[in-house]
Parts: sequence; structure tokens; C-alpha cells
Amino acid sequence: MDFSLSEERKMLQETVARFFVNNYKDIKKRSEHLAMNEGFSREFWKESADLGVISGLISPNFGGLGGSGEDISIIFELIGKSLCIEPFLSSGLLSTSILSSIEIPKTELINEIIDGELLISFAHMEMNNRYENHFVETKAFLEKDNWKINGNKSFVINGDSADKVIVSARINGEISDKSGIGLFLVDNSQIKKRSYNTIDGYRATELNFDNIKAELLCKDDLALECIVKANSAGALALSAEAVGIMQVCFDLTLDYLKTRNQFGKSIGAFQSIQHRMVDMMLEIEQVRSAVMLASSTFETNSSTRDKNVSAAKNLVGRVGKLIAEESIQLHGGIAMTWEYSVAHYAKRLIMIDHLMGDADYHRDRFKFLSTI
Amino acid sequence: MNFEYTKEEQNFRYEVREWLKETLPQSLSEKVKKYQRLSKQDYEIFMNNLSAKGWLAWHWPEEYGGTGWNAIQKHIFEEEIVNASAPRIVPFGVNMLGPVLIEFGSEEQKNYYLPRILNNQDWWAQGYSEPGAGSDLASLKTTAVDKGDHYLVNGQKTWTTLGHHADKIFCLVKTNTNVKPQLGISFLLIDMDSPGVEIKPIITLDGEHEVNEVWFTDVKVPKKNIVGKENEGWTYAKYLLTFERTGIAGVPNSKSALDHLKMVSRKSLKNGKPLIHDPVFSSEIAELEIDLLAMEIFNLRTVSAAADGKAPGMESSLLKIKGTLVRQKTTELLRKALGPQALPYLPEQFDEGWNEMPIGPEYAGPIAKQYFNMRKISIYGGSNEIQKNIVAKASLGL
Repeated sequence: MDFSLSEERKMLQETVARFFVNNYKDIKKRSEHLAMNEGFSREFWKESADLGVISGLISPNFGGLGGSGEDISIIFELIGKSLCIEPFLSSGLLSTSILSSIEIPKTELINEIIDGELLISFAHMEMNNRYENHFVETKAFLEKDNWKINGNKSFVINGDSADKVIVSARINGEISDKSGIGLFLVDNSQIKKRSYNTIDGYRATELNFDNIKAELLCKDDLALECIVKANSAGALALSAEAVGIMQVCFDLTLDYLKTRNQFGKSIGAFQSIQHRMVDMMLEIEQVRSAVMLASSTFETNSSTRDKNVSAAKNLVGRVGKLIAEESIQLHGGIAMTWEYSVAHYAKRLIMIDHLMGDADYHRDRFKFLSTI
Repeated sequence: MNFEYTKEEQNFRYEVREWLKETLPQSLSEKVKKYQRLSKQDYEIFMNNLSAKGWLAWHWPEEYGGTGWNAIQKHIFEEEIVNASAPRIVPFGVNMLGPVLIEFGSEEQKNYYLPRILNNQDWWAQGYSEPGAGSDLASLKTTAVDKGDHYLVNGQKTWTTLGHHADKIFCLVKTNTNVKPQLGISFLLIDMDSPGVEIKPIITLDGEHEVNEVWFTDVKVPKKNIVGKENEGWTYAKYLLTFERTGIAGVPNSKSALDHLKMVSRKSLKNGKPLIHDPVFSSEIAELEIDLLAMEIFNLRTVSAAADGKAPGMESSLLKIKGTLVRQKTTELLRKALGPQALPYLPEQFDEGWNEMPIGPEYAGPIAKQYFNMRKISIYGGSNEIQKNIVAKASLGL
């Protein structure tokens, strides 16, 4: 066994880390980005592309420079540390995962994404389908030789700025059927939309499809496989992001405990506080370990991949709550303010449990995959 | 033992409920239900109604304008206020300062301030915490220097809830810096419009303005505004905090939040079925309900045992700890119940008169915000860690 990163990955990590640190100096910088028209900085996105950060998420088979579970984790952990809000998840990872997994991969589109020129969001969630991969109500039908889409998609991250969206839609069957789903590519300018911010600062969109023309990417088994794979990639990325966030929360809290004096000593001198910090540290190491396992097995068969991703994401949900709540509590009042950064990290950490399956969803999926 | 409400108690509940139905404007209870931002006037409408009815100072002794209700009646009253979605009674004057003045104030202070509190003429704020004095409140640095006929006050208070509405603020100040911290503190009443008082908003993690910083620069405060004796303010401060803590148990709020949680869990779907039928999630709700059920009785035991008007002992610390954890758990399960519906955050939906379509179900909007906002309750009023220290030291002798 070897738990160390290869030389190339170390270099990737260092380069990307330096880039994020230089561009995302503090929470004010993030606020500037999310106050922009599209909810993120185009300039930063383009610079990320030029530096190869986006291509780090994509396999060399499709013009990228990375794309393995380990690459995804390295990049998203750094995204977490800086609380970066650019569309790495929506365009960089989810869409490229699907575009590269279909029968005839859309390499040209992937390359435009790599270059920072094209944005594609993945529109899968619906208002009431919670976290289930196969619950799809939006309908697709053939009209003459053209596919058309009818229905609504919810919580589409970066759904307003995307040039195109990949939409899951039901070609036949009932809402909960595993077969009969298709994935379609749609030009975003045709879709009626309503955009808003999420509580952790992201831009999301409700999409309304009214007989919108679409291009079929894949259907039935392959479509469901693509959705499951993309969502597993997303869950892995979010788990790695959470590791980065947890580490920052921990570091900020530790620093505060050493500098804040009450009762004539640093509050970190109290044993009850010390033990809680040790508990946090221990749990973060547990999550880090689970994320490492999920990263290194991401390219194996889908049941191992999904089982390990679910283990990681379940731990992220449970431990994320602990770290977010304890970081705020151990800071005290200061952590309740907008001005101080820890609350923004805590908000993102908690809301990660509301994306790509929460702790309960992944516990259930792990239970299923580990007993078959 | 008998845990049933008596006929009289049930009649009392009915009386309170009917009165709230008649007097509480529906537009106001709608705002409270939707977690919309309340104006100063919104609070005042409700408190003026209570005042006119003689129910504002419901826990004061009758001779000062209180109601003379027993512990059970008080509990019923609190429950009905929450159930009617009334705004909370702003506690700083009537719940905090009032009892301190009744116990320790001069006759002149009682005669002047108590009627004004009863009539809502003064909006009070609490000047306790400072940037360097949170859990260790006695280490506060704001000074009041004796200048003959007045004190000269310099320093800074923080976390001043609704201080931007306040006419007056009661402050803990240092009048002697050469002794053990607890022995040099005085309790001072300060007009917010005194020259040298400056107030600055603090925006909280949910983007809201509820708390403030209050700065004092060479503020002249008349000598008669000191409560009780100079340098004995710590005793009064602690007396006040025990009143602050009993409210924090928040049993009625948690009960109402539990009902809300069940409603949301019936409407949220998991695998196409109501979430409330999910064995794991419903077990979590059940355990929360069990905790709350026990805490309600614990709370009733405590308030019944304490003689009317007297501050309860270490039970208030225990209730504060459990009460905040239970309340926070309700907000956590509500957030979980929503799934991805917890993501959207439309700050404008908390403005009065907002009537656009919400994103998703109407109840979803405030839930994540409320979860984050409620992190404060285990921090303020003496953090839960401090409550444990109090119990360990004062009650267990450790």
C-alpha cells in the first residue's frame, strides 16, 4: 500500500493551491464573486481554465490532464479550503462526466469546457424527487423526428449562466421506474428560468420546459448509469470539498481558542474544550480516510465505487454537522457574524449534506450495496 | 400527582386564547408565521395590547402591576402566545430589568421606571457583553468614573439585541478597577440619546440585523441612575440572568416547532412516500418528542417549585442546556426533512408584503435560515458550557 500522492499529483496540488490562495484571499473576495451577475467571476473561471484546473477534472482520453478520483479530490479539497464558488461542480465535473460516458462522447464540447469557453449545467433534480437518481417526472417525447421536453427541473446549480443544460427526462414508464429515462442536451436560451441564491452562496435556477427542443444523448440503462456515475462523482467531489472546509473550520477554531482569553487564560486551556477539539480532529481524520478510499477506488467497478462514495458522503453528513456546529459553538458570538469567515464555511458544510444525497440517503445506499 | 389541567386552568387557557384571537391582528400573526422581519411597531402593537389588558408584566408581583398568576397559568399563557403566532414579548424591560428594580431599585426608581415599563413607554436594551467579556462577564471593561453629580462612562457593549429600537439601556460598568472583578461592578441605567452613545449594527450569519454594538464615549450619567449600591451590581446581574435563563428553555416554541416538523415530514417525500413513514426519520422525530415531553414536565416541576417571583436555582441552568439542545434539534430535523428544498434562500421573502411565488413549498423558505440563526441560543444568555460550570461548581461542589 502507498498512501502518498504521485509527483504529478503533488505538483497539481501545489499549483492549484497557490492559485486559489492568491485569488481567494479572504471571505470578502468570495462575496465580491458571488455578487457578480452570474454569481461567480468569469475572469477567475477563465484563469482556472488557463492554468489547467478544469482539465484536472477530466481524463486525458477526452483532452483533460487528470480526471481520476484522486485528481477530483485534490482539486475539490482546495475548492473547499478557499470556499470557491465557480462552476467546477456543475460544468467542470457533472456535465463532463456525462458527456464522456455516452456512446459517442462529446469531446468537442468537453474541450470547450476545459478551455473555459462553454458552461453546461446538469439539470436532474426535481422539486419532489429528493436525492433519488431514478425519480424523474419531466417528460421527453418524439415529435416527428425531434425530441421535445416538458416539465420542471429544480435547484440547477449555475443554471442561469450555462450555455447548455443536460436534462434527465422520462421517455416512458412511471416516475419511479428505473428504465425509460433519457439524457438530453438542450440549448439554455430557450428555457424559461427563475434564478436565486442558495443559503450557502451558490446560484441556482428553476427551469421550466414547455415543448423545448432537445438532443438525445443516451437512454435507458446507459442513461441511468450516467446519472449514477455523475452523482457519485459529484458526491465524491463534495466530500473532498467538505474535508477542505472542515480543516479550515478546525484551524480557525483552534487559533481562536489559543488567542481568546476569558477567566485569565486562553479558553483552549479548559479541558472540556480540549477534549472537544480532539473529538473534532479524530472525526476529520475519519472523513479524510474515507474520502481517500473513495478516491482511490473511483475507477473500479460501479458497486465498489458507489459503496465507498456513499461511505464518504455519509460520514461527511454526520461529521460535517459536528464540525459546523462545534466550530460556531466553540467560537461563541463572533461565529454568528457575517463578517467573520467561519459561518460561511459552516453554512457551505451543512448545505453539502443537501446535495447529491444526504447522510441518510448514503447510509441506505451503503447498506444496500454492502449486503448484496 | 396529577398531570391533568384542572377545569379552572382549562378555562384560563380558553380566556387567553379568545383574547389573543380578538386582539392580535391577523396580518401580524401571518408575519410571525412566515418569519418575516418585524418592525418596532409590530412588537409595540402586541405589547400595548397586553399592557392595556394588564397582562404585560405577567410574572411581576401583583402590587407592582403583575397578574398574580400561578406557575401553571404562566406556562399556559406562554404556550398560548406561541400558538397564536404572536411576536415575542421584548424581554429586556419587563422580564429582565423589571424584576431587578422590584428587588433592588430605590422607591424613586420603582415609581418612575416600573409604570413606564408597564405602559411600554421605554424600550430597554441589555448592556452586558463586551468584545472581551462574554463567558467571563465579570472581566468587563466599560468604566463609570464618579464625577460628583454624575458618572462618566466609557467603553463598548456588544450583541445588543434590538438595541437600534431602544430608548434606554441597562449596563454593567466598572466602578472600581482595583478589586476582584466581581466586586467592582455597578448596574447603571443609561439614556440612549445621551451625547456620546453610538450604535452600530452587527449583521449576523443569516444576513439579518438584530444585534448591535453600543459605544460609550464620555457619556454623562446622573448618579441617581445607579441601581442598588455601587460595586454590588454583580449580585443584581446574576439575579437578572436567572430570569433570562428560564425563558430560554423555550418549551412552547419547541412544541410548536415539533408540530411544524411533523407537518413538513408528512409533505416531504422520500422514495415517493411521506418522509414521516420512513422508519429512521420517524424514530428521530419520536426521540425528539420524548425529550421534549420530559423537558416540559421538568420545566413545570421547576417553575412550580420556585416560589412566585423568586429566582429558581441550578434547575434554570439545566433547563437552559436541554431547552436549547431540543430547540436546535427541531431546526436540524426540519432542515433535514426538506432535502434539497432547503437550498434556496430569498432574503426578500422575509420583507413585509412579499407576495411572489416561493421556490418550492411555502414553509421551506425560512427553515435553513432558522437552523443557522438558532445556533445562537446555546451561546447567548450564558453559553451552555458556562451553565455546566455553574452547575458543577455551585450545585455539585466540584
